[in-house]
Amino acid sequence: MALLYLESFCIFLSLLNSCSSRLKQNASTPNIIIMLMDDMGWGDLGVFGQPSKETPNLDQMAAEGMLFPSFYTANPLCSPSRAALLTGRLPIRNGFYTTNAHARNGYTPQEIMGGIPENEILIPEMLKKAGYVNKIIGKWHLGHQPQFLPLRHGFDEWFGSPNCHFGPYNNTFTPNIPVYNNSQMVGRYYEDFKIDLKDGKSNLTQIYLEEALSFIRRQSGSKPFFLYWAIDSTHAPVYSSELFHGKSKRGRYGDAVMEIDYSVGKILQELKSLGIAENTFVFFTSDNGAALISAPKQGGSNGPFLCGKQTTFEGGMRVPAIAWWPEHIKPGQVSYQLGNVMDLFTTSLSLAGLEVPKDQDIDGIDLTPTFKTNTVIERPIFYYRGNELMAVRVGMYKAHYWTWSNSWEEFQMGIDFCPGQNVTGVTTHTQEEHSMQPLLFHLGQDPGEKYPLSVLTSEYQKELVRISSVVEQHKKYLIPGLPQLNMCDRAVMNWAPPGCEALGKCLTPPKSEPWKCVWPH
Amino acid sequence: MNRYYRKCRNSNMHCVIVCLLVIVGRALCLTTRPNIILIFADDLGYGDLACYGHPTSGTPNLDKLAAHGLRFTDFYSASPVCTPSRGALLTGRYQTRSGLYPGVLYPGSKGGLPLNETTIAEILKPLGYATAMVGKWHLGFGVNRTFLPVHQGFDTFLGVPYSHDQGPCQSLTCFPPDIKCYGMCDQGVVPLPLLLDDKIIQQPVYFPELVPQYNKFASDFITLSAKHDQPFFLYYASDHTHYPQFASIKTTGKSLRGPFGDALMEFDNSVGIIMKTLKDNNILNNTFVFFTSDNGPELMRMSRGGNAGLLKCGKGTTYEGGIREPAIAYWPGKIQPGVTHELASTLDLLPTIATLVKTKLPKVQLDGYDMGDILFRQSMGKRKTMFYYPVDPSEKLSVFAVRYGKYKAHYFTRGASHSDTTPDHDCHLSAFLKAHDPPLLFDLESDPSENYNLVNNASMAELKPVLDMIQQVKVEFEKSMVFGESQIGKGIDPELEPCCDPACTPKPTCCQCSPL
Repeated sequence: MALLYLESFCIFLSLLNSCSSRLKQNASTPNIIIMLMDDMGWGDLGVFGQPSKETPNLDQMAAEGMLFPSFYTANPLCSPSRAALLTGRLPIRNGFYTTNAHARNGYTPQEIMGGIPENEILIPEMLKKAGYVNKIIGKWHLGHQPQFLPLRHGFDEWFGSPNCHFGPYNNTFTPNIPVYNNSQMVGRYYEDFKIDLKDGKSNLTQIYLEEALSFIRRQSGSKPFFLYWAIDSTHAPVYSSELFHGKSKRGRYGDAVMEIDYSVGKILQELKSLGIAENTFVFFTSDNGAALISAPKQGGSNGPFLCGKQTTFEGGMRVPAIAWWPEHIKPGQVSYQLGNVMDLFTTSLSLAGLEVPKDQDIDGIDLTPTFKTNTVIERPIFYYRGNELMAVRVGMYKAHYWTWSNSWEEFQMGIDFCPGQNVTGVTTHTQEEHSMQPLLFHLGQDPGEKYPLSVLTSEYQKELVRISSVVEQHKKYLIPGLPQLNMCDRAVMNWAPPGCEALGKCLTPPKSEPWKCVWPH
Repeated sequence: MNRYYRKCRNSNMHCVIVCLLVIVGRALCLTTRPNIILIFADDLGYGDLACYGHPTSGTPNLDKLAAHGLRFTDFYSASPVCTPSRGALLTGRYQTRSGLYPGVLYPGSKGGLPLNETTIAEILKPLGYATAMVGKWHLGFGVNRTFLPVHQGFDTFLGVPYSHDQGPCQSLTCFPPDIKCYGMCDQGVVPLPLLLDDKIIQQPVYFPELVPQYNKFASDFITLSAKHDQPFFLYYASDHTHYPQFASIKTTGKSLRGPFGDALMEFDNSVGIIMKTLKDNNILNNTFVFFTSDNGPELMRMSRGGNAGLLKCGKGTTYEGGIREPAIAYWPGKIQPGVTHELASTLDLLPTIATLVKTKLPKVQLDGYDMGDILFRQSMGKRKTMFYYPVDPSEKLSVFAVRYGKYKAHYFTRGASHSDTTPDHDCHLSAFLKAHDPPLLFDLESDPSENYNLVNNASMAELKPVLDMIQQVKVEFEKSMVFGESQIGKGIDPELEPCCDPACTPKPTCCQCSPL
């Protein structure tokens, strides 16, 4: 009845050319857009000090919204980070880790057998209950076997790929990665969706942008929507379209950032011109820190932070983050709230008026009070690498229980996760345990984790007691999930994804020969 | 402060006429002669402000200035240490010309900024500007206080004549109620004096009240000038965030960044007060405000020191962290808000200001360029190169590095004690002087952290034209360079150290006076 009234009110007002038909949507359940970048570093945004001036739209988004300088991912690598974002649970709980070796990062390459477990509850599965239309655009990375794909886990639509855009492959030993439209593959990378490795050109971001814009335009307004826009042009091999090629000062990587920035601007502009900006919550962040091994040509910047992707130092886990919601989030705010990608689960549910599932341990917190009043809710940040809790942040203090950059063998081969910033005793090349006497940093005074506090100070003693009790509590109640990243098999690669017949792109898988995956770092 | 007005009070007819002329003149001036404020921070690094990517700094006023002004990403001071950097800022000339090398001036230094050098204040004063300086001078004291600001174009001065660690500080209060300064500072010299014009009004300085005094002095100066419709030049050279950090009650313990953060917050607070004073006097639209810092952060202070952000090393070195600075230009209605990637330097301020007030440049060899294109016309700047002199420039070694467009070539590298204790060993004092032939070459646009040297056997042929060009630019610059007589080389005479009670014994410790 109320809706009908509102609708007729709208019709009346639309005569006055001042009311959007979108108004009829229930204002308490806003549309939700999560923009998740791939390997984009904290320091890649102008608003976080990047000198290269590639992000006027993101800087503007921050000026119109709320900036989070202390926002974290749940893991320094893609797959676990994404699984954590969508489930609101640490990878150690949702199974996105490996026990094949101690403290190793695992992900979902084509040969991985595992994926998102059936019993995990994802954001779209919950939002569906509140009537949302859910779409994922871009990289999924939670397993590519049929039972793991997005449409089986709450998404109504999908345009993108289950794995990273590595390649090209010869389709004999390894198939090229498929691109899906909903439940059917529509082609493969390097074949039908070109990425030119020589000059770093690809149209993919433009395609992902168009997909996003058309999805948003297609919504009737009768149902709220959830768009998970997980684009990947800043992940090596880095790419941009012709329009942005050579346009930045930073080479290929900067070109990719510029194109992303342009696309973000387009999407926000579309929301404004459709008159639904005030009813759409947008959150921009990244899956993990910049991949410094690909820098400077194909890697970003982690600003003042130590090391990058793959590590549990700040550079690996602190990510850029902006919340935007006109009329609901006051413009120009900076929040010192410790945030985590897992909070997007709890926050999305809260925005949709849903309760978090009672039968799951949820690690995300509801950030909506922060958006409203810019208050800070106390909560710890857990830095996991594989099956090991490497470090914990409580307030301004971070304690490292384990340190590791990568092995000497890898380092001597030239793989350096911390170029130009090896801190003795901190960025160690052997796995060092500090459980008896954790390395403690005050991240407010020393964001770069360069100067451990002396164990002799009362500050150290006091803070360690505080952090230790948090760790103790955490470990006491932790129920690890079944590890999903232990087993590999070439037979499970993307040989014959659904839809391959129609395209004549089915390949014959080899005989199943599972092995224990090897995770070098 | 204002002679014309003082004269007018005599109320003789002659003066009334002069006065009328002056008033008419001023009325005309109003449109052409803007007020100018230079805000200069001390040892503040490229990565220390929130708007330059510090995750925990609380700098709302500077961030606001950046949001509504033009923020520079590629702005350079002229030296990685204080004295030469300050001399270059005020004269638009490299320290090598004015003789402000090697290193910095000491309390008993015989030398100083030569009086025949033309400062920004000396350019503006003849045009009817009221000129004032607040804060750290560090361009000499000398015999009969001959080098002080009041002899270099400033009508008035409130501040300390050099760095506030150049006097014993172990028993001084840095934070209220009574937190002693961290460390010892320089021993065997007089306690740190506070001067008003050329008089010592306090010795040693009481840190928790220093900045509140500066703020009042600056606000009063602005307000008075505005009331008299007189254009003014204010050089606000803060002692923040140099070691030892200090702050007043207002910001002590208030930041997320400890003592450094508190000092920075007090500095930011001063910026807020200056801006508010401009607003209250309704002269925001007629005031050009420029903010920057003298050199990179003193990384040896570890978590009590500044932050170079993503740049390599800090104070004392010719890596980017040593001399690339945060910089913001602000002038509502005249300067369009945004970010500029153009190359610019403290050396450019004098020519920019001279152009702005439509006056002639001093008839000496200048090293700066008018920044008008960048500031007011959103177009490319005139500066294409930047030359990096070490702390101790010499004609023999010449410049250590050259920036040309996006490239930077290091001919020599050397660490510095100021940048000790960082994880990067290239920054340390133990990284001795090293010559590079061919020079190390970095692309600062894709690699601002100077991590990846472009020159190797395979790339040599491709890069040769770039290296040749840089070499040519360097040679041309060197041809134009005439080293002035070293002022710091003139040595030290302890008798010259500022003492509020010259007859007292035993010196230097007896030089102590309460506020007058």
